[in-house]
Amino acid sequence: MTFEERVARLEAIASALEHDGVDLARALELFEEGIENLRAAADELARAEARVQRLVERADGGFDVVDAAE
Amino acid sequence: MTSRRAPRGAESADLDLFALASSIGEPAHAPPPAPEPLIDSTRYPGETAASAIAVSLLTQTAKDVIEGAFIPLWVRGEISDFKSHRNGHWYFCLRDGQAQVRCVAWKRDQRGIPAAPDDGMQVAAFGRLTVYAARGEMQFSVTRIEAEGDGLRRKALEITRARLEADGLLAPERKRRLPPFPRVIAVVTSPDGAALHDIVAVTRRRGANVRLVVVPAAVQGETAPEELCFALDQVNRWGGADLVIVGRGGGAREDLWAFNDERVARAVAACRVPTISAVGHEIDVSICDLVADLRAATPSAAAEAATRSRGELEGELRKLSLRMRSATRALVRARGDRLRHIGRDLASGGGEQVARRRTQLGAVSGRLHALSPLATLARGYAVARGRDGSTLSTVAQLSDGLPFDLVVRDGTVSARVERAGEDA
Repeated sequence: MTFEERVARLEAIASALEHDGVDLARALELFEEGIENLRAAADELARAEARVQRLVERADGGFDVVDAAE
Repeated sequence: MTSRRAPRGAESADLDLFALASSIGEPAHAPPPAPEPLIDSTRYPGETAASAIAVSLLTQTAKDVIEGAFIPLWVRGEISDFKSHRNGHWYFCLRDGQAQVRCVAWKRDQRGIPAAPDDGMQVAAFGRLTVYAARGEMQFSVTRIEAEGDGLRRKALEITRARLEADGLLAPERKRRLPPFPRVIAVVTSPDGAALHDIVAVTRRRGANVRLVVVPAAVQGETAPEELCFALDQVNRWGGADLVIVGRGGGAREDLWAFNDERVARAVAACRVPTISAVGHEIDVSICDLVADLRAATPSAAAEAATRSRGELEGELRKLSLRMRSATRALVRARGDRLRHIGRDLASGGGEQVARRRTQLGAVSGRLHALSPLATLARGYAVARGRDGSTLSTVAQLSDGLPFDLVVRDGTVSARVERAGEDA
């Protein structure tokens, strides 16, 4: 999952939990899933670094993304 | 209408032409001192009526002389009689107070001219002086025009802008929202420029979790528009980016001109993902700025707008975490309360069915209940009534030894006043 997807999922989970009708067992499941997502997203942030790369078009029309020499 | 192609000399006059050309080759060509009689029809063509040269030879010779004498140069003057011919060539005059020269800008030469000049514009035109033999006219063949006060560029901008507007490319509702968490940002710019350096620096400083993919293109010079278009097209064909920054650092107005090119603007508009344009520090807005989904004043500002700092994202996660935890806590508490209620009902009513009935009954009687004095009694109050049924509500009505009825929640009690109290 991308960071964005995780955040979107977390939004959905929070909204579901804030809704009165949710079943308790389901709520606990959602909570657990949310915690897992939070941890993964936080990990991703901790690893965050901006990479600089360069787009290279191959002769066959495909593309390679190579790390830029700095 | 005469043919535009000059009839190249009289075919019958080759010999004469050679003679003329060689005499032109020696500029100090006053007739050489001749001991012989002055009239000699063979000395040079046109010396006598008998040796008159053809018009075409005259104009062709004039053409050779004039075109050989001038190198390309800038000429300043005022534009007049401007006409754009159907075939795409432009005809006009350049003049000052004393003189004028006819000018032409061939269609193929118009690339160096930002826009068609208007009559009355003060310009400097660059070109070559030629002779249009078919008409025997001098003609200045123009390849570049610079108007006073940058008038032509401004005109060109207005024209381009109007065309893009007509195609709906400047409509505000066309602007797309930037992705909240871009992961791959294509940066279309010069790989050695200050713009890239600034964008990388800002992104690093913000600790943004993002890949910057440079798509190199010249950002100034004649090839810049094409290279920028090509790079933007590459981004589309590649399909790996979720945001595009296109731009360059500040520079002279001419250096930024590629970003006013209509082709570049259309390529920006054709981007399949949102675009940020970041062109220098120029006060004027470029055409690319108008088309892009977001205009950043500088490449650094573009990077700021494109990325979210690690701190920001961490804050976002904290907020989500808080929402989730408090919602869950509230949920569990509510369920606990309900369980306790049910437990109590079970204990007192001896069965779930009873509890449910009781709840139903409670609901139905609720409204009546609220209006009835029974509700008051139910809360533990009692009503004193005389034997005649009147309500006894003051001390004065209750004398020592008086019998009365006390109405309580579940019935009536006979009572007697023991000792009438003092007034409250």
